Amino acid sequence: MEYENIEILFVEDSVDDAALTIRALNKSGFTHKLLHVKDGAEALDFLYCRGVFSSRNPNQFPNLILLDLKMPKVSGIQVLEQVKADKRMKSIPVVMLTSSNEGPDIERCFELGANSYIVKPVESDNFFKTIKEIGLYWMILSQPPHL
Amino acid sequence: MKKHISDGLETTHLLNLKNSEQKNQTAELIIANKEIALQNEDKENRAAELIIANKELIFQIQEKENRAAELVIANKELAFQNEEKENRAAELVIANKELAFQNKEKEKRAAELIIANKELAFQNKEKEKRAEELITANRELKNAEEDIRILNEELEQKVIERTAQLESANKELGSFSYSVSHDLRAPIRAINGYSKILLEDYVENLDAEGEKILQSIIYNSKKMGLLIDDLLAFSKLGRKPVTVAEIDMNGLVQQIKEELIFEKGDHIPEFDFEILPNAEGDKSLIRQVWINLISNAIKYASNKANTHIQIGSYLEENMVVYFVKDNGAGFDMQYYDKLFGVFQRLHSQEEFEGTGIGLAIVQKIVHRHNGNVWAESELEKGSCFYFSLPAIN
Repeated sequence: MEYENIEILFVEDSVDDAALTIRALNKSGFTHKLLHVKDGAEALDFLYCRGVFSSRNPNQFPNLILLDLKMPKVSGIQVLEQVKADKRMKSIPVVMLTSSNEGPDIERCFELGANSYIVKPVESDNFFKTIKEIGLYWMILSQPPHL
Repeated sequence: MKKHISDGLETTHLLNLKNSEQKNQTAELIIANKEIALQNEDKENRAAELIIANKELIFQIQEKENRAAELVIANKELAFQNEEKENRAAELVIANKELAFQNKEKEKRAAELIIANKELAFQNKEKEKRAEELITANRELKNAEEDIRILNEELEQKVIERTAQLESANKELGSFSYSVSHDLRAPIRAINGYSKILLEDYVENLDAEGEKILQSIIYNSKKMGLLIDDLLAFSKLGRKPVTVAEIDMNGLVQQIKEELIFEKGDHIPEFDFEILPNAEGDKSLIRQVWINLISNAIKYASNKANTHIQIGSYLEENMVVYFVKDNGAGFDMQYYDKLFGVFQRLHSQEEFEGTGIGLAIVQKIVHRHNGNVWAESELEKGSCFYFSLPAIN
């Protein structure tokens, strides 16, 4: 039952960023059920109940997707594109997390329907603060869509 | 002749009167008369004939006279004609002489023409030579043109190659920037983050020295992050296109001042504003120039009891010169050449924080606007930074 009732789907290939992000959320007092997957392919497997996720309830969707941009196999943009093109999932808020504001990604992400685009701060205090604010805004302040 | 005829008639008349007396004789006389009459008749005939002949003669004489007159006339005519012919001959002689003269002239002319012809032939030859020379010169010119064309083509090729090299270098720089910002930031974030976790959750396992070292790791990784961000911002400037429009300078500077004061919180500096003329520039870039200069002024004057910042401008030729003057720490003008260098600092990190990119960014932006940037300063008295932008016509 570990894949049931997932509230936050966290897609991040960097073990370190994942550890720091999860710690930041825990330290900030969020108790939401979070699933960390290591790339876009795993994220799509989860959302479409494939592979190791084939037994999970296909009618359940997370309330928030935290999506890293640059990942092996399937990139964050590709996951975003599929999620926002899927009638059942397009209302799930997707927050893009990226290591840099370089490259032509920002516009593309918003065109595809990303709800937010966050550059991960290098400095840990700022990083913790940013993650906390993301959680606060999307999981508490913002009303989740009725799926 | 007529006298003869009348004589005869008179005789005849006397005889007839004597007839009455002499009959015999009468008859004879008649006969004789008759004879005479006949003879008279003959004579008359002869006379008539003579008259005719006379007339004829007269006519002939007349004719001869006419002829003679005609001959005279004809002679006269001939004489006249002769004279004419002589005149003509004389004229012909003159004409001949004239002709001879003319011939001579013509010969002279012909000789002259031959000379002229020779001259012409010579000139023609010269012209041909010239033409040949011209053809040669033309050929040389064409060859030169061809050389130039080839050189131009080579140049164009080189330009194309260089442009391609530059483009690929730019692309490389772009992807380098991307990987610097993306790939270098992640490990620094990890170092900084984990250090922070150690400090927060495991500090009781460290002694004072260990904690100090941990603080240094956090501080340095943070600084490295800032340096990378600044370096990227600086390299981005070179690639960002400059879009020029009129900038409302008063509005822009006022807005920046408010933002900087808001960030600053306490120790609010005292601003002295002059009304600034507008200038041409890329608003987002010029905004960065003002932010860097004004925040520098605030920063370097922060040790003073009263931070006084003066912002003003003046016109110089076609440029507007803006300045930001502070009463801060200032700098030693002997290090002026390092002032606008990338990551060059004239103050220690302990004195004033900073990576040393701010003024390099200012210079790069102003230069991209064909403007200039310079400064004047005196240690402990303060600095004044100037930059120029094209004025509005």
